[in-house]
Amino acid sequence: MTTRALDRPGLTLPPFAAKTVGIVLLFILWEAAARAYAGSFILAGPLAVTAYLAQHADLLARATARTLTNAAWGFLWGNLAAIALAVIVILLPRMERLATAVSLLIFCLPLVATGPILRVLFGTGEAPQITLAALAVHYTTFLALMVGLRAVPQSWLDLVRTHGRGAGAQLVYVRTVASLPYLTAGLQIAAPAAILGAMIGEFTGAERGLGVLTIRAMRAMDVDATWAIATLAAALSIAAYGAFGWLGRRLTGTPPALLLTAPRPAPPRTLGRRVLGLAILIVTPLLLWYGVMEAFSLNPFFAKRPADILAFLVTGPEAAAHRAALLGAYAETLAFTLPGYAAGLALGALMACALLLAPGLGTTMLPVAVALRSIPIVTTAPLIVLALGRGAAGTIAIVAVMIFFPTLVACLQGLRQTPRQVVDIFDSYASGRWRLLILARIPAMLPAFFASARMAIPAAILAVTTAEWLATGKGIGALMALTASTSDYNMLWSAITLVALTAAATYAAVSALEDAVLRVYAAEQVAR
Amino acid sequence: MPPDNGQAIVGQAVTCAGLSHTFQTGGAPIPAIGPLDVTFAAGKTTALLGPSGCGKSTLLRLIAGLEPPSEGTIRMGAETPDEVCRRAGLAMAFQDASLLPWRSLRGNIALALTLARRQSDMDSVDRLIDMVGLSGFETRRPAELSGGMRQRAAIARCLISEPDLLLLDEPFGAVDELTRRRLNHDLPALWQARGTTALLVTHSVTEAVTLADRILVLSPRPATIMADIDIPLPHPRRGEDDPAFQDLAHRVVAALEASAEGRPLAAQ
Ligand SMILES: Nc1ncnc2c1ncn2[C@@H]1O[C@H](COP(=O)(O)OP(=O)(O)O)[C@@H](O)[C@H]1O
Ligand SMILES: [Mg+2]
Repeated sequence: MTTRALDRPGLTLPPFAAKTVGIVLLFILWEAAARAYAGSFILAGPLAVTAYLAQHADLLARATARTLTNAAWGFLWGNLAAIALAVIVILLPRMERLATAVSLLIFCLPLVATGPILRVLFGTGEAPQITLAALAVHYTTFLALMVGLRAVPQSWLDLVRTHGRGAGAQLVYVRTVASLPYLTAGLQIAAPAAILGAMIGEFTGAERGLGVLTIRAMRAMDVDATWAIATLAAALSIAAYGAFGWLGRRLTGTPPALLLTAPRPAPPRTLGRRVLGLAILIVTPLLLWYGVMEAFSLNPFFAKRPADILAFLVTGPEAAAHRAALLGAYAETLAFTLPGYAAGLALGALMACALLLAPGLGTTMLPVAVALRSIPIVTTAPLIVLALGRGAAGTIAIVAVMIFFPTLVACLQGLRQTPRQVVDIFDSYASGRWRLLILARIPAMLPAFFASARMAIPAAILAVTTAEWLATGKGIGALMALTASTSDYNMLWSAITLVALTAAATYAAVSALEDAVLRVYAAEQVAR
Repeated sequence: MPPDNGQAIVGQAVTCAGLSHTFQTGGAPIPAIGPLDVTFAAGKTTALLGPSGCGKSTLLRLIAGLEPPSEGTIRMGAETPDEVCRRAGLAMAFQDASLLPWRSLRGNIALALTLARRQSDMDSVDRLIDMVGLSGFETRRPAELSGGMRQRAAIARCLISEPDLLLLDEPFGAVDELTRRRLNHDLPALWQARGTTALLVTHSVTEAVTLADRILVLSPRPATIMADIDIPLPHPRRGEDDPAFQDLAHRVVAALEASAEGRPLAAQ
């Protein structure tokens, strides 16, 4: 019976009491830890944080207002772009491959590098923060919306077509409303992400905002301030997440268990078409890159074109030295990222299984995990660095934490997708929780696991570059920071290109692995 | 009933000529239909029976213009399925009722008018709701209706646009036996009175013999015609008491058994 407890709808959204218990426990642990480590300049407890917040209420309120305003504008533009793109893809399915690839590539651009470039471009105003917030939200909303626009029974679409109407009418009368729950679920994910984007934008030389205060506190090694601002930003993110969750439930009822699967159109049949498709995939981003710069006549001093990068890394006079510097930093970064990525995924999946085997734990832990998931990395990174130092352990931990919570939540949702009848059959043989877990629930979890493994790639890149940039001074994140401040824009753009290419290649590799595994364990997910 | 009482037949004959359809999947191609040469007479109801997966739904989808056939032609009068669709001349009821969950019963039925770009005439919507026995539920959402009520709503949605051709894919599939009997008794008059040409896919022999003017028993995939049985009984039909009804039902069952076992049907 215990394995069933989690499946009962009443318990999937744990009661208020369980939430309160979880939160109170967390605070007590926190304060206890702060007292245990008093004097080590790592931790500030809830009491110290509250005191700081009260003392600097004015300053913090102004910074919060600034950050939230920027986040809101970015949220608006990013989501509008996502919606527009999704509508285009639904109406012109041929665009799908290209649109998703370009969208993913843009999402994989390291914010810590695009930030400084936008800063040069726009100056000290708010535009970079807003742009980064928009960049941080558009892809997840796009994916959520695509899943929603597609999660429509074929017969509803056929109904429209038998009345002689086409894709436009299907969109208006069927898909739009059917996708609303998915859109609100996507907006819920986007809300904290927008705050994250705005804060990273503020790191890159803004004048006001919580990001600016974070940088100042870190530079001054002010533990109370660092924790207080992190707590505030975390609370804002959780509140934004919660508010959009509440709004979604009010508007569209219980949100669907959202699995952010990138749309995967069937590959073209003939070899020639495949090669052509691949060529278009490679050429279009380059054209976009070049085209945008030319269209806005961006100054070639900081807006490097593809040809500049080619010269810098391959054909130019000191190309070999440039390559060595870039690849050296790249290798350092990979050494942090890969263990963190693997650890975050593995811990998330294991924890999900553990919570399922001990459901009592799940009811208290899940709301905490959901809340922690929505805390942006920029707020936790300084704390982890305080705790674990500026070495490998700190960076790996930041990457792992960034990936852990989304994986945990997705895997828990996946485990719950095990068909009721299958669970009943196992129960009727009294075959025990372990067998049920291994033979039925884990296969049911795999699609969710792989979806998080894909989405974790941009997250890992963001985490590692942010950590290197803010704290460790190593790797490609630090290289980006350095080159941004010394105006070595050739190197900066080379680093951006390398990171984006790595992300896209890893994403493709994980997708291929996913296809192979799901073909065996969850054939219905692949055959679409 | 319809042809006898002198009313004009609005439907037109549907002709399938050399029709065959093969699904091109990633693996081996799946032949689903044909070759099939058949004409469905204007204003008549034809029931299609056959083993699961034999291609009945596919045949309806081809006739509805939802998929172009791999080979052969389909014509209603002189029109292609696409042309019929474009003037909203046909309506299809799907295996599940396929009501939009966010629209009320009234909204779901009126949707057919909206899609057909016709005036949303709420009076006729309500009249039709009354005819299918759902009055009082106009503002309810599909989730608040029982399975049988939803299927009646789906039929009402098909009828509201006054189609010339009605395609019903197991419209009473999810309904208990008692409700099914009531539906079989009440609903067909609604389209048969107009002289609509109707194709009805069903698994119930009793339903087929109760509703249809003609029954086609299809072979396993790819679907071809195993048996073509006329049902010349007068409406309304009361199966249990009528030896002629029973006799026809036996013939249909024999044809179905032959089809399922993959042997040719003994001459009757
Ligand atoms: N879109 C499709 N792609 C591939 N095969 C299909 C598709 N639709 C139906 N089929 C196959 O065609 C056959 C006939 O299906 P269908 O017409 O739905 O049968 P039924 O007579 O039960 O309604 C089945 O074997 C089915 O697997
Ligand atoms: Mg069928």
